[in-house]
Amino acid sequence: MIEEGRALFLQIAESVEDSIIDGTLAEEAQAPSTNELAAFYRINPATAAKGIAMLTDKGVLHKRRGIGMFVSRGARELLLGERRAAFADRFLDPLLAEARTLGLSPDDIARLLSERAARTTTEGTAR
Amino acid sequence: MTTVIEVKNLTKRYRDTVAADDVSFTIEKDTIYGLLGRNGAGKTTVMSILTAQNFATSGEVRVFGEHPYENARVLPRMCFVRESQRYPDDATATHALRMARLFFPRWSQELADRLVADFQLPMKKTIKKLSRGQLSAVGVIIGLASRAEITFFDEPYLGLDAVARQLFYDRLLEDYAEHPRTIILSSHLIDEVSNLLERVIVIDKGRIIMDEETEAVRGRAATIVGDTARVEAFVAGREVIHRESLGRVTSATVLGELTDADRSRLAAEGLDIAPVSLQQLIVRTTQHVESALTAAPEGAL
Amino acid sequence: MNRTWNVVRLQLINKQTYVWVPLIVLAGSFVLTLLIWSMVPFGGQKYSGGAQAVYWYFGVVGVQALTLTFPFSQAMSVTRREYFFGTTLTAVLTSALLASIYVGGAFLERATGGWGMEGYFFSIDWIWDAGPAAAWLLYFAVPMLFFMIGFGSATFYKRFGSVGLTVLLVGIGLSLVGLGWLIGRADGWSAVGTWIATQGTAGIAAWTLVVALVVGALSFAPLRRATP
Repeated sequence: MIEEGRALFLQIAESVEDSIIDGTLAEEAQAPSTNELAAFYRINPATAAKGIAMLTDKGVLHKRRGIGMFVSRGARELLLGERRAAFADRFLDPLLAEARTLGLSPDDIARLLSERAARTTTEGTAR
Repeated sequence: MTTVIEVKNLTKRYRDTVAADDVSFTIEKDTIYGLLGRNGAGKTTVMSILTAQNFATSGEVRVFGEHPYENARVLPRMCFVRESQRYPDDATATHALRMARLFFPRWSQELADRLVADFQLPMKKTIKKLSRGQLSAVGVIIGLASRAEITFFDEPYLGLDAVARQLFYDRLLEDYAEHPRTIILSSHLIDEVSNLLERVIVIDKGRIIMDEETEAVRGRAATIVGDTARVEAFVAGREVIHRESLGRVTSATVLGELTDADRSRLAAEGLDIAPVSLQQLIVRTTQHVESALTAAPEGAL
Repeated sequence: MNRTWNVVRLQLINKQTYVWVPLIVLAGSFVLTLLIWSMVPFGGQKYSGGAQAVYWYFGVVGVQALTLTFPFSQAMSVTRREYFFGTTLTAVLTSALLASIYVGGAFLERATGGWGMEGYFFSIDWIWDAGPAAAWLLYFAVPMLFFMIGFGSATFYKRFGSVGLTVLLVGIGLSLVGLGWLIGRADGWSAVGTWIATQGTAGIAAWTLVVALVVGALSFAPLRRATP
C-alpha cells in the first residue's frame, strides 16, 4: 500500500482524498484521527499529522475543537477539480507516449477509447 | 520545539581511529530520531558519550541543558541499553526488570508485563543462558517500559526474528503515541525502521552526512532507466549519485525532485522511473561521500 | 540515598558471589580443619589458619563487585558515585555479617572447649583475649581490606588495562620492599614489632580499616573515568 520513494504524508493525504472522492468518507463526516492513521499504516504519528495538516491547509478538512477533524463541505468538488486538472498530465501524456512508440495515431486511440468506454459503462461502476 | 540534547563539535579519538569527528546536532523533545550508519560508523560511540558512559575527547554535550556526566538529575531521565549489554552473572530477566523498576522513575510495570508476554521471555532462566533474541528482548523491554524522557535503542533488534522486530516497532509506536518522549533508534536496517522516524541523522566514519526530516529525504532521488544516450541527456546538469550500465541500458540515480514536466519528458523519451527507497538513498549517498573523499587530491603536486 | 541502597540490591543479585561461595569456602575449610584435627593424635591446643580462606575470597568478591555489576549499573543510569558508595555499603554489610558469624562461631567454640578437641578455628587467643568486640572489629576490618584491594585492582585494570595494573602492583611491591630495607637499615624491626604488639587487637583492626579506606578512596578516581 505504501510506495517507496515518495513522502509518506503525501500518500496518507492522497488515500484520505481517495476515500472522499469515491464517497466512502462523506462530507461533514469525521475523518480518521492522526493516531488512527499512524496505527493503521504503522508510521510515526508526526508523519500522519503532517498529512492531515496538508489537507486542512487545502481546505479539505477542518478541526472541530474538542472533537476532531471533519471533512469540509465542498471538499469533494475541490478534489475532483484538482484531479481533473492533473488528469491530462498524469494519464494522457504517458498514454500518448506509449501510443507513439507502438505507432498508434490519435484517431486509433479515439476509436479504442470509445470501444472501451462503451464496454465499461455496461458493466459499470456507478458514477 | 524544545531542544533536549545539544551536541557541539564532539570528537572522540582513540589511539589510531577517530570514532566521532567534529559531530554537531540537536535533538528535539518528543521526536523519534533514527541514528543511521554502517557498522562501526560511530553510532554507539555517540550514544555512549551522550549518556556519560563514555567520554568525549573534545566538544560539548548538553542534556536538558546540563552536562550529563555524574549528573544524578539528568541521568535517570535517560535510558540507554546497548546492543551487547552485560548483565550480572546470576541475573534472571526477573532481576533485571525488577532493578530497572527501581532505577527508572517513570517505569511502567504494566507495559513491561505485557511485553514479557508478547516476546515470550523466560523469566526464571539466567540471562547468560538466554538466546540472542531473548537477550535483545530483555533490552528492548527495559528500554520501552522505562518510559524515560530520552530513550536510546542501540541496534535493539539483533537476534530478533522478523515477527519479533515488527512487534517491537508496533509497541514502540503505540506507546509513543500515548506517552510521547524522545527516542533515538540506531539501526542499519533503514527501510525497516524508516516509517517510525521523524528525523534521520546519518553518520559515516564518525561524521554526520545527513540530518533531516525523513519526509524531506523520501522522494529526493529517483532512478532513471533506459537507453544510455537518452538517460545521459536527461541527467546532464543534475547530481548523479549512482550509475550502472549494462550494454546500451543505463540506470542513473539522480538527486532532486522530478517535476511534472520532467515526468512528461521522461514518458515521451520512453525512459522508466524507478523509486528510490530511503535505504537506497542513504546507501548511495554514503558511498558517494566516501568515494568523493578518497578521490580528493592528497596535496599539491 | 535511595538509589545508593538500590545499588546494594543490584550487587546482591549475584548470590553466588556474595552468599554461596563464601559459605562453601567457610564451611569447607572448617570441616576440613575438624577432620584433620580429629585425625591427628595430638593433645593440647590446636590452631588453624583455615579461617583466613574466606578473607582471601573476599578479594575475589571485590573484583566481581566491579566486573559483574558495573556495566549493568551504567545501563540503569546510575552515577559512578552512587555505584561506588552502594558497592562499599555492600562490602560493609557482608563483612559485618561475616564478622558476626565468626564471633558467634567463636563463642560456640569456647563453650564447647574447642569443639571437644581443644581446636581453635574462630577464636585465636591473642585476638579473643582482647574481648569479643575487638575481635568482631578485626574480623570486620580484614575482609573489608581484601574487598577493597580486589575492587581497587579491578577498577585500576578497567581504567588503565593490564599494563597499568602491573605497573601499579610492581610499584607497590617495590615500595614495600624499599620500606622494609629502610627499616632494616635503621635496625628498626624490633621497634616495629613492639609497636604492633602495643596496638592490640582493636588497634590493628582500626589500622586495617584505615588502609581499606585509603585503598577505597584511591579506587574512586579511576572509576570516575571507567567505561562499562
